[in-house]
Amino acid sequence: MSNRGNSSGSGSNSNISSSNRPEWLQQYDLIGKIGEGTYGLVFLAKIKSNRSKSIAIKKFKQSKDGDGVSPTAIREIMLLREISHDNVVKLVNVHINHIDMSLYLAFDYAEHDLYEIIRHHRDKVNQAINQYTVKSILWQLLNGLNYLHSNWIMHRDLKPSNILVMGDGEEQGVVKIADFGLARIYQAPLKPLFDNGVVVTIWYRAPELLLGGKHYTSAVDMWAVGCIFAELLTLKPLFQGQEVKATPNPFQLDQLDKIFKVLGHPTVEKWPTLAHLPHWQTDQQHIQGHKYDSPGLYSVVHLSPKNPAYDLLSKMLEYDPRKRITAAQALEHEYFRMEPLPGRNALVPPQPGEKIVNYPTRPVDTNTDFEGTTSLQPAQQASGNVSGGMGPHVMPTRNVPRPMHMVGMQRMQQQSMAAYNLASQAINPANIPMQRGVAAQPHQQQQQQQLRRKDGMGMPGYPQQKSRRF
Amino acid sequence: MATDFWTSTHYKQLLDQEEVDTVHSLDKERGITLEDFKLIKLHMTNYIVRLAQHVKVRQRVVATAVTYMRRAYTRRSMVEYDPRLVAPTCLYLASKAEESTVQARLLVFYIKKLYSDEKYRYEIKEILEMEMKILEALNYYLVVFHPYRALSQLLQDAGMSDSTQMIWGLINDTYKMDLILIYPPHLIALACIYVASMLKDKDNTSWFEQLRVDMNMVEKISTEILDFYDYHKTISEEKVNAAMMKLTMRM
Repeated sequence: MSNRGNSSGSGSNSNISSSNRPEWLQQYDLIGKIGEGTYGLVFLAKIKSNRSKSIAIKKFKQSKDGDGVSPTAIREIMLLREISHDNVVKLVNVHINHIDMSLYLAFDYAEHDLYEIIRHHRDKVNQAINQYTVKSILWQLLNGLNYLHSNWIMHRDLKPSNILVMGDGEEQGVVKIADFGLARIYQAPLKPLFDNGVVVTIWYRAPELLLGGKHYTSAVDMWAVGCIFAELLTLKPLFQGQEVKATPNPFQLDQLDKIFKVLGHPTVEKWPTLAHLPHWQTDQQHIQGHKYDSPGLYSVVHLSPKNPAYDLLSKMLEYDPRKRITAAQALEHEYFRMEPLPGRNALVPPQPGEKIVNYPTRPVDTNTDFEGTTSLQPAQQASGNVSGGMGPHVMPTRNVPRPMHMVGMQRMQQQSMAAYNLASQAINPANIPMQRGVAAQPHQQQQQQQLRRKDGMGMPGYPQQKSRRF
Repeated sequence: MATDFWTSTHYKQLLDQEEVDTVHSLDKERGITLEDFKLIKLHMTNYIVRLAQHVKVRQRVVATAVTYMRRAYTRRSMVEYDPRLVAPTCLYLASKAEESTVQARLLVFYIKKLYSDEKYRYEIKEILEMEMKILEALNYYLVVFHPYRALSQLLQDAGMSDSTQMIWGLINDTYKMDLILIYPPHLIALACIYVASMLKDKDNTSWFEQLRVDMNMVEKISTEILDFYDYHKTISEEKVNAAMMKLTMRM
């Protein structure tokens, strides 16, 4: 059994395990800091009573303006306490430290996220993500989103870094939607949605939002899924607009221009409510000025227009939100009925002979304690697999602009990567009823276990795994 | 789930009358009886309503705040958690949960304006500290379903749209009791419609019958509402003050 000394590679933890930690923190062994955002810090920890289980602890700072627990944290807790789904991040605990008035959310830890997986393929292995993995990730993402949408929850901030994938362990390769800070229940809002401020990272933002639409729907999440799907295929953000930071309104001309270039201009004939969108009317000379009329989506994503993958993608990127495909409809799409069928373990294709990519584990800054105090020692590289569990919504060391910054972090070396060429699991979505609630799950898990296949061991050209686990 | 009552944490947390009517042992030591307990909660409901009118939040925020306050006192003592601090804090927390955030300093401003009694005067810092304690007391379950949700549809269906205002008022009054902790909110809404039908001498028997709900339950809630109105007439300021006096020691 691994211990902390093992997984952090040195005894540098002594400065972390300070003895005057509050009682509720004593149940965890802190491994280190794995992320940082405007709201606070994210830590990796192990549960003392069950060391095989890793958790991510998101610490919310007390806001400086004297307004208590941030409404974002309240909203996230409120939703996560209600929901339960295989493809949604699991909130395992909430803790409050009354002394410094900080709030901690503990999640099952996920080793990977789509941001890192895409980046690894683009910058390290220089190779597309295999079809099975793309399809499995997309299916699970839609499955989780369908659960949220059928419960009237909009995520509103879907992007690759918010889509987590479980590392080594019994849930290996399972996709988890994370970061519900902007999510909301949309059945009976007290305020128009627009009052909540501008939402959704610009590259994944739906055109109705960019054009100033005020009453948007769950279709904005589906647009983001379309963008993510394309990015999984090409390893590049589909619409990489330059964000104009100064503007308080959601209107982003460059982002719209990037979309129009690929999809062609929207027309009132195809999208009747377009005429009512504020920016379509007020910025006519800019928006309606130059026309792009040759839609070239298929060439951007290198797919034949006859390919079902292309058909599904184009339905997600439908301009009119009312015509855009829903998560439930997308799950029924032909694409998911063709080989390779999507599976539960998105990282390990069931076909023997398929290449398995070893994704790097998350870097851990072992010199930061729960208070966020960093010691002056150089950052240690964590080695060994931080396995199992699910995770935080943030990642350090990005080379693309991101809302966070980490110091002294390095990526793991090859030999320390988790080995994934273990027993793989496949599910046939045609046999599996769509998950709509908690009650459906035990049955489904049983089904999945029956369908589990043991193959795909020891791929050529990849390091042999040190241990096998079943 | 957040929008399906039957899978929600609200449903799972519904309590029995006896559980709701248990006075905390610390409060009992101060001589607080069950009647005092109910009176204080009623008094605090009125406090939340008053404060809400000044900071201008909608009824749903008020209803959620009162529910938080009542839920908190099924687990915490009034001696340790001063209702005069808990009430505005619940309004503060509910305003965040219901996406109409009210600033703590605004609440403090109106508290000072409304009450000269210094026992009511709490500072921002104390509200923020209590906010975390309330979150803990609520076990972080924050989604609350209210009887208002399906009301207009029900009234239309029952052909009682002309009584909307009266029934809305009846529902508001149910928050002066603990009904929201005990019964599913749609049954509370139906009970209010039932009471209104009685008061207006409108025979809705056949409409209720075709609803396929537990009519015994609806009648039971209706009786409780009518009993409450009778009881409400007997409440005097002295009674409330006497109950509040038992809590005098501030933590």
